[in-house]
Amino acid sequence: MPLAEQNLTLDAGPFQVRVRSSDPSFLDTLGFFYRGCVRHDGPHFVDFDIRIKRPRGLRRWLQPQVLFEIDALRPFEPQPAENAFPTYEWGLNWCIATSAHRYLMLHAGSVAFGDAGMILPGHPGSGKSTLSAALTLRGGRLLSDEFGLVRPESLELLAMPRGIPLKNTSSEAILEFDSAAPLGPTYPKTRKGRVRHLRPDALSVAQQQRTATPRWLVFPRYLAGATENLAPLDKSEAFRQLAFNCFNYKLLGETAFRAVAQIVRQTQCFTFTYSRLDRAVVQLMDLAQATGPAAHGSPR
Amino acid sequence: MNLLIQFLRRPAIVHKWGVEDWNRFMPLARNARLLGRCLYLLEQHDLLGVVPSRLVDQLRGALNQTRYVQVQALRELRHVVRVLDREDIPPLVLKGVAYLVSGLPPSRWRNLSDIDLLVPKDDIVRAEQALGRDGWQPSGDFDAYDQHYYRDWMHEVPPLVHRQREIEVDLHHNLAPPVSRIQINAAKLWADSLLVSGPYGMVVRTLAPADMLLHNAIHLFMNDELRGGLRDVVDFRDLFEHFLAQDAAFEQLLLGRARALGCGRPLYYAVSTARDLLGLAPSAAFLAEVEVFAPAAPQARLMRWLIEQVMAPARLGLRRTAAANQLLFVRSHWVRMPPGMLFRHLVHKMVKAKKPALSAADLPG
Repeated sequence: MPLAEQNLTLDAGPFQVRVRSSDPSFLDTLGFFYRGCVRHDGPHFVDFDIRIKRPRGLRRWLQPQVLFEIDALRPFEPQPAENAFPTYEWGLNWCIATSAHRYLMLHAGSVAFGDAGMILPGHPGSGKSTLSAALTLRGGRLLSDEFGLVRPESLELLAMPRGIPLKNTSSEAILEFDSAAPLGPTYPKTRKGRVRHLRPDALSVAQQQRTATPRWLVFPRYLAGATENLAPLDKSEAFRQLAFNCFNYKLLGETAFRAVAQIVRQTQCFTFTYSRLDRAVVQLMDLAQATGPAAHGSPR
Repeated sequence: MNLLIQFLRRPAIVHKWGVEDWNRFMPLARNARLLGRCLYLLEQHDLLGVVPSRLVDQLRGALNQTRYVQVQALRELRHVVRVLDREDIPPLVLKGVAYLVSGLPPSRWRNLSDIDLLVPKDDIVRAEQALGRDGWQPSGDFDAYDQHYYRDWMHEVPPLVHRQREIEVDLHHNLAPPVSRIQINAAKLWADSLLVSGPYGMVVRTLAPADMLLHNAIHLFMNDELRGGLRDVVDFRDLFEHFLAQDAAFEQLLLGRARALGCGRPLYYAVSTARDLLGLAPSAAFLAEVEVFAPAAPQARLMRWLIEQVMAPARLGLRRTAAANQLLFVRSHWVRMPPGMLFRHLVHKMVKAKKPALSAADLPG
């Protein structure tokens, strides 16, 4: 039954997103994750104008699908209707990654302790999302699990707290770590396998306009059975790895080179091999406590 | 008249804009690939202070991307020129990359997705093979029919891309398909072409100014169902004004060239569209002479309506725009091929399965 279309404006860190949809279950899920991001004043300048809708036709009844529209255009194939929320999240990430070249975009999790930022760059599977999630459950302020957004001229890390997609067994790992972790619905079949999102905490959301200064650069690597090992990383190697890890390093050219070089210069650089999430988090929290201001908020 | 058009004609209008106006303007400018052009216009008129800062961020982001693609295009051109020089085949660059090499006004903001080159017809297969030996390959799967379509009917060979790079290389031997309504004697283009010293010490040829404008018009109104859209009309207007400022006799030159090459009709469409939409203001004498190339009045009116639906929709995603695009698609085939050939082509295309618009790439999320 088609309901009236809802028209919401959400804060997503430096971006404002208009989301329109009449899909009640999608709107429910969106509310669960982003109630604190909805703007009630208005009108707002829109960075991304997104609509989540059901295509017309017979499929509506047989195998319902969902369409992601940006500026009324459809860059993707329709997705199964039950994946509306992951489709929205993925689509918004695509919009940001392909257009926000105003910023240096690190492919990295990022968490702040006060105003000091910890950057966790990593390839898919390195565990950066899981680590970012766990750190925020212990009072770290979530900047992003995926985008280290940096203003190249000031090197500020921007916050963009969003649902953290936990892939496959990561959601169990997080529940084991914190049984009260606020997780959304499970999506058994997405392009990335089984996904369940962690809701960003209220404090991170409330402070999403607050920037952070890069202080630690930690390259995580999940290795089953390994003992946690935080080892200093040579700065030239850190530069190479961070540069290769940007979404738009080549695109920004010299601007990116200078920004990455300065980030590496001003941060303590480590590689971090880990297997046990609780110990890994303690170790990274210790690092933050020892060399930076205390984490905001109290551990839960 | 949509907000983008209003802005391109009179940038100071942004003083009056509220939030909702900006929200309608940005998608139009983005979709027309004119964000960079808009940023320049705002800077030129000292209006940047009026623009909300988050939108300035978007405009700058788009220009950063354009700068990058421009560098990629010039590098690709350098690779291609190296191969063609070795084969003694003269490369003549077209469209976006020609503006870039020659430092013409659009090069300050214009994005591009491929590099277009003209080579003599007798050399085109040799050029294709030489590039093939150096790592370029067809950019897609072209079956036997596609090969036949390109090689026997079109003015280009199937697009190439180097296996280690991303920018497409289109080799042409003419500006319009040999089977189309417009027949251009390529020898005349070569005779008037200019030698240009580009970046990286490259020496390439470009079309003469008048031919460059005629190519823009042919490409937009005869070859490609207006796919270049408003961006190409902006190019036309900017280049027209630039060349006229350099040479007071440019209008007459352009008319003479349109007659000599037999492409008065596309010139008529380009001039009238640039006038209707962007306020191009040539001399009355020039307009009167261009009017001679117009089609019969009902056809001219229909085209004008179609062009407006496609290039100046009030917003994106209107059903009217889609319908106009359908008609233009049919028309573009009609002017490109004789009826019998068109029939066979369409039947073949109908039988072939439709490809997905975009496969989900491995991006974040």
